[in-house]
Amino acid sequence: MTSEDLLMKLKDLIVEGEPQKTIELMEEIIKLGLDAKIILNEAIIKGADEVGILYEKEEYFLADLLMSGDAIKAAMEILKPKLLMHSDIKPQKVILIGTVEGDVHDIGKSLVSSLLQGQGFEVIDLGSDVPVETFVQKAKEIKPDIIGLSGLLTMSISKMHETIILLKKAGIPSKIIIGGGVVSKQSCAMIGADDCAKDGYEGIKKIKKILSE
Amino acid sequence: MPYDWIKSVTRVMKAASGQVKGLDRVPFFAISDEQFISRIMGITTREILSSPETYANCIIKTAEFIQADTIQIPSAYAGPLEAYAFAEVNNKMNSIQWYDYKPLAIKPGEVCKTEEDIEKLEIPDHSKIDLWETTFTTANIIKEKVNLSQSMGVSIWSVVQELRGIDAFKDIRRNPDLLLKLCEKIYESQLDAYNNWVEKVGVPPLIMYTGYAFNKHMMSFKDAMKYEGQFIKRFQEKIKSPFMLHNCGTKPYFKEICREIDFVAVNGSHPLDIEYWIDFKREFPKITIMGANIDVSREMLTGTPQDVEEKVRENIINLAPGGRYIVSPICCLPWGVPLQNVLAIPKAIEKYGRYPIKTS
Repeated sequence: MTSEDLLMKLKDLIVEGEPQKTIELMEEIIKLGLDAKIILNEAIIKGADEVGILYEKEEYFLADLLMSGDAIKAAMEILKPKLLMHSDIKPQKVILIGTVEGDVHDIGKSLVSSLLQGQGFEVIDLGSDVPVETFVQKAKEIKPDIIGLSGLLTMSISKMHETIILLKKAGIPSKIIIGGGVVSKQSCAMIGADDCAKDGYEGIKKIKKILSE
Repeated sequence: MPYDWIKSVTRVMKAASGQVKGLDRVPFFAISDEQFISRIMGITTREILSSPETYANCIIKTAEFIQADTIQIPSAYAGPLEAYAFAEVNNKMNSIQWYDYKPLAIKPGEVCKTEEDIEKLEIPDHSKIDLWETTFTTANIIKEKVNLSQSMGVSIWSVVQELRGIDAFKDIRRNPDLLLKLCEKIYESQLDAYNNWVEKVGVPPLIMYTGYAFNKHMMSFKDAMKYEGQFIKRFQEKIKSPFMLHNCGTKPYFKEICREIDFVAVNGSHPLDIEYWIDFKREFPKITIMGANIDVSREMLTGTPQDVEEKVRENIINLAPGGRYIVSPICCLPWGVPLQNVLAIPKAIEKYGRYPIKTS
């Protein structure tokens, strides 16, 4: 099998969401000494993009996104040490993410967290039901590029608002994106967030867009 | 002057059966959960639930404050309370979180963390679960006080998500048989809850079915039928009460599910395009629409009373002629919603919702 065939197969495994088979193939590819950046760009990122297209066409659903996310994560764990050896690699963008206080729902947030990690971003996931003070404290400590506040419950909007007020009061310059079924453009503007996303996949797209600006 | 609940009940019954003759105005249905009740009553969730008498009084007073025509017991909704019952009988009470001013919650995925947890999962006996007992007694007190029989909630997927968390979605791909086993246990549990309800409260006039699986961003319609729809059909074979479908998701399969399963009413706010709902009414003339596109996270939360009035007007003039329409913001009224926006709903109903409806 040629290098192109192997990369194509890896991309397909990511699209099909097969974490175990992805690990086996990654090990084979690494042994062959393929360039880490080529593996990332030609297989992993292309695979992730294809998954996104299928989701938007409503041919893929949450289960498919999560399984592909696991496959990407598995591939990246093997690839990461190799990528770090590249001298031209840019410092990783850091994302701080969590579900706001009083809300334990974590599906959208975990999806964003896992797929972004899988694509090489450094994601600090604070989990769910995160107190306002924890967001502020962690943001001061790690200086994230983006802070993602997630929530499903209608009351989470108020808690997101409170978190944003305290983050701004603490002088945290990070861009803030809110996500979840309860958010809207109106509520986003009202509470002073920089952007909003209705679901996990939209969240990933928006975060990547902000980071590329 | 005491609140006229008899008039409200008559209004809802007439509207839901499409009897416009003698119907004074469009009814108002709102979902007030523990957080909103806490806000109106000024006491904590624990205090509200401290006795069935207190609970019933708080629910009735909140409904009267917002001038609603219906009353729902928040804990009768088959989400957190079902998960609570499973947590209790499976010794996982540490997964339950109590809050001062909002409903109790369960950490998603804690009760069924492993495959073994699902295999060994005990089905609760609802007669032995304290919060269910409180709910049964509360339903009886409400019936006694305002002569309003309470609807009961059922759901499969919302409980699956509570018990199994994000892994439930991965199970769709990697372990469907195990997932179906969990759905089956939840179905058995809900039947037990229903049987207890019948025994202690009476046959519920309506089953409020929460159909979260039926959302495009969750799963395909085929999977939604597999992991939830088939169980609802089985419920309907055993339960004679009519079913109302509640779905507060943003990409619901309303039309698709109504072609497969019988409902007397649907309660949702998406799609936000009113044309969808006009078309829905055309395709399903016998199904009562409760809601349409009044979304609590939009104009209700961030708009003015005038914005709310306009939204209610749009819904009424398009959907209320001929009956089978009930104004309803979706979903639970949020903590931060301005109260004048909530009160703008009954005012707008009074202004635009008197029969015969003026459509221009």
